[in-house]
Amino acid sequence: MSTATIDSAPFLDVADPSFSITSDVVKQAREQSWYARTPYGLAILRYDEVSRLLKHPKLRQGSLSWPAHNGVTEGPFADWFASWILNKEGEEHHRLRRLMNPAFSKKLISGLVPRFQALASELIDGFADRGRCEFVSEFAEPYAARVIAIMLGLPEEEWPIIARESATIGLALGVTIKQDLPKIEAALQRLYDYADGLIEDRRENPREDFVTALVTAHRDKDSLSFQELRDGLVLLIFGGFDTTRNQLGLAMRTFVDHPDQWRLLAARPELGGAAVEEVMRVNPTVRWVTREALETFEYQGLTIEGGTTVHLFSESAGTDPRVFGEPSFDLTAERMPHFGFGGGAHHCLGHFVARSDMSEALPLLAERMPGLRLDGEGTWLPDSGNTGPITLPLAFDRD
Amino acid sequence: MQITVDMKRCQDHGQCAIAAPDVFRINDEGRLEYEPTADESLRDEVEEAADVCPVQAIALLDG
Repeated sequence: MSTATIDSAPFLDVADPSFSITSDVVKQAREQSWYARTPYGLAILRYDEVSRLLKHPKLRQGSLSWPAHNGVTEGPFADWFASWILNKEGEEHHRLRRLMNPAFSKKLISGLVPRFQALASELIDGFADRGRCEFVSEFAEPYAARVIAIMLGLPEEEWPIIARESATIGLALGVTIKQDLPKIEAALQRLYDYADGLIEDRRENPREDFVTALVTAHRDKDSLSFQELRDGLVLLIFGGFDTTRNQLGLAMRTFVDHPDQWRLLAARPELGGAAVEEVMRVNPTVRWVTREALETFEYQGLTIEGGTTVHLFSESAGTDPRVFGEPSFDLTAERMPHFGFGGGAHHCLGHFVARSDMSEALPLLAERMPGLRLDGEGTWLPDSGNTGPITLPLAFDRD
Repeated sequence: MQITVDMKRCQDHGQCAIAAPDVFRINDEGRLEYEPTADESLRDEVEEAADVCPVQAIALLDG
């Protein structure tokens, strides 16, 4: 028997690959109720409830059991996954976060802005004369991977290795994780090799950079162990690559529909930061943030059973008419914060990096790609979980 | 040292409470509470709390 019959809440089949989080079905459900039932548990649809439940003390981050649910209970991947700061709670989590946070501070990242700008310009130079590009392979992917190389102090020409191994590890988030496991663990080992080399080098030759900040991070007498450092660095490579690539592609797709805002961004590059926030409000790559109920509790008259998976719909919250009114996309509007970086204790660790690199890239793209339009439909990941374009052909007016 | 949090911007993420638990706390309702003054000996961790705040809502004043 479906749980949908228990009450009058709408049911959303989010496990169906053709389910779209931006569809009218979800918008109608949001008008009917602040939550919906799903095959996994609950989906939270409105801004206020997403905001509160995102930080609710009775909910933990919800992906910890993913490998075990798919039959992967031991080995290098299972160990690495369990090591993720995202999958830790309480004091164990806070200790790691305290040690890692300073390396990701706004101050340290701001020194990299000229590198981000030079990188964006170089990549745009590669296709500007053509008046068209395949945006993912010609910009989003190399940009996201080379930003990571810059952060880690790796040679930028090695970016295809970062891209390839991260994509392979990404297979672990799909339902075919078990059959892909040998490939996934080989990719993991190659990234560990990178991490080990970096840690050893910075221990011997500390310099003013991100890896040195992590290696030397300490709080009182505590510091990150070698294993924590290598686990953390590999997570950073993996977590920072796909998300940035996807979010840049989604940004371009949104701007195609809003040529006035694209022209505005070209004319006023200082709106780059606002552009990132507005895009992530209406078109976030992380379509939902997953939580799991630690115990049974009541929230707004609803009993949430311990163990229930709760998906917080970021796009649905970010376009909730109760908070944002009629649908609009406006870089100059004052907005409530979006949930594209999650929230609470697990708020994205790398958000200052992501915000900084995308806010430098978007105005340069707007300046160099006037008259932006689609040059074909492209191919897309399912519109749930983490989404984005696999390919995105774009055309624009040549200088 | 005096501490102010712009409560209009604060989203109760609680990163400050992780960085400086002696000064910032998330209560049982999930809302931020904090001490408006703190001893100089806590300066490092309070500065860190201000740095890591995702919405940059924390300000420090000397004195």
